Amino acid sequence: MPDTETKFEITDEMRAQYGVDSAPWTYEVTTTSVRMYARGIGSDDPIHYDVEFAKAQGFRSIVAPLGYIGTPVYLPGKNDPTFGFPRREGGPRLNIPFRGLLDGGTETEYFDYICAGDVLAETSHLADLKYRETGRPMLFVTNESVYTNVATGKVVVKQRLTSIHM
Amino acid sequence: MAQASSVVTDDMRALVGVEGAPMTLEVEKTNCRMFARSVGHTDAIYYDEAAAKARGHRSIVAPPGFMGTPVFHPGQAPTGPAQSRGYSIPYKRVLNGGTEYEYFPENGVICAGDTITARSKISAFEETEGSLGPMLITTRETTYTNQDGKVVAKMYGTTIQY
Amino acid sequence: MGEQVYFEDVREGEEIPQLKKNCSTQQLVLWAAGSGDFYQIHYDKDFAQRTGLKGLIVHGALKNAFLGQLLHDWVGEQGQIRRFGCSYRGMDEPDQDILCRGIVTKKRSEDGRHYVELDVWTENPDGKKTSPGTAIVTLPSRA
Repeated sequence: MPDTETKFEITDEMRAQYGVDSAPWTYEVTTTSVRMYARGIGSDDPIHYDVEFAKAQGFRSIVAPLGYIGTPVYLPGKNDPTFGFPRREGGPRLNIPFRGLLDGGTETEYFDYICAGDVLAETSHLADLKYRETGRPMLFVTNESVYTNVATGKVVVKQRLTSIHM
Repeated sequence: MAQASSVVTDDMRALVGVEGAPMTLEVEKTNCRMFARSVGHTDAIYYDEAAAKARGHRSIVAPPGFMGTPVFHPGQAPTGPAQSRGYSIPYKRVLNGGTEYEYFPENGVICAGDTITARSKISAFEETEGSLGPMLITTRETTYTNQDGKVVAKMYGTTIQY
Repeated sequence: MGEQVYFEDVREGEEIPQLKKNCSTQQLVLWAAGSGDFYQIHYDKDFAQRTGLKGLIVHGALKNAFLGQLLHDWVGEQGQIRRFGCSYRGMDEPDQDILCRGIVTKKRSEDGRHYVELDVWTENPDGKKTSPGTAIVTLPSRA
């Protein structure tokens, strides 16, 4: 049953959280995790599996497939048990009343490639909220994350993720 | 002595005790955590490197039953129910009869950062008549050796085909 | 994890603290990722039924790992699991309790190590032992 009764309102307090960065969280890129992601997308390119092959191509190790930006360090009680992402202290508190959740899209900007062995520090902030009330109410939440390679200090990826709550 | 109806051939008997090709398993912080999370472990030594070090370990500890993730090569047999290798038998159904792990912590506790070499062999074929009809029980033994050449664990597995 | 248990505190015939599990289908998918076993009878109901099963079943190896957790949580920081395992005698379904239990069968000291042997098993809501097995652990001594 579509939930047409529940309402949501974007407040100034929520808008005040736009751009406020969370504390960093560690993401790890390992040979095993790169291979598993590559299997998940159905790739058989040895650049994602074979360390010697990747090194012969000039990479540090096997290369993370596009879209794989490491696995967040999982600590029971501190990460979401379904999605795995860290639940940050002091992060946006939106108290979203809708039960439905869909992935609304991903935009990823790369500044460098990512290889197994990389450790990334990710900070995230709320970037945008949109609420549509025509028909079934829908709330679009956009978060922006910046991933920095801990060893080099360089930003390697910026990503915008939009989730749809309805 | 094989019975007249035995499905164990001379070729199969010749395989008993012969080690297969070694397999490399990688133990990492990420896959230890994933394994621990999937079991529901609550001890921090399976998740938090600092907590594991504070308890005297080199890094995050591999949870019981976790020996690392086999290096995956596309096109080679994926992980699945243990199947026969190099021989075929007329039974279609396969059951995992059980698994037992033996640890040798004095040789090293398996931790993130370890590279484990697994060598497996068939230790015995046994034929019985069960409620499901004739069965072939295959026992396998796998030895896990770490990067220092120390045997850190063994696994004894039983496969039932009928 | 509770307080450290010592060899002297343990008696033959004594039951160790139970561990109750109840696998959602989500946990079975987590286990697929954790173990690398993607056999479809554990997450694809149609597939499972085509193979003649009533529905999804819990991985045997996951129940074995539950017994590993039962033992790990009991032996504490100073104890060690030397050996554990089980055979798979009965199938467990998702969303049903799986009770992990263990009973001390034998105590012995050898070469300065204090061994405790146990029967361990998982039990379904009818009290049937679906994965009976044994274990050997070492515990610290108060001596």
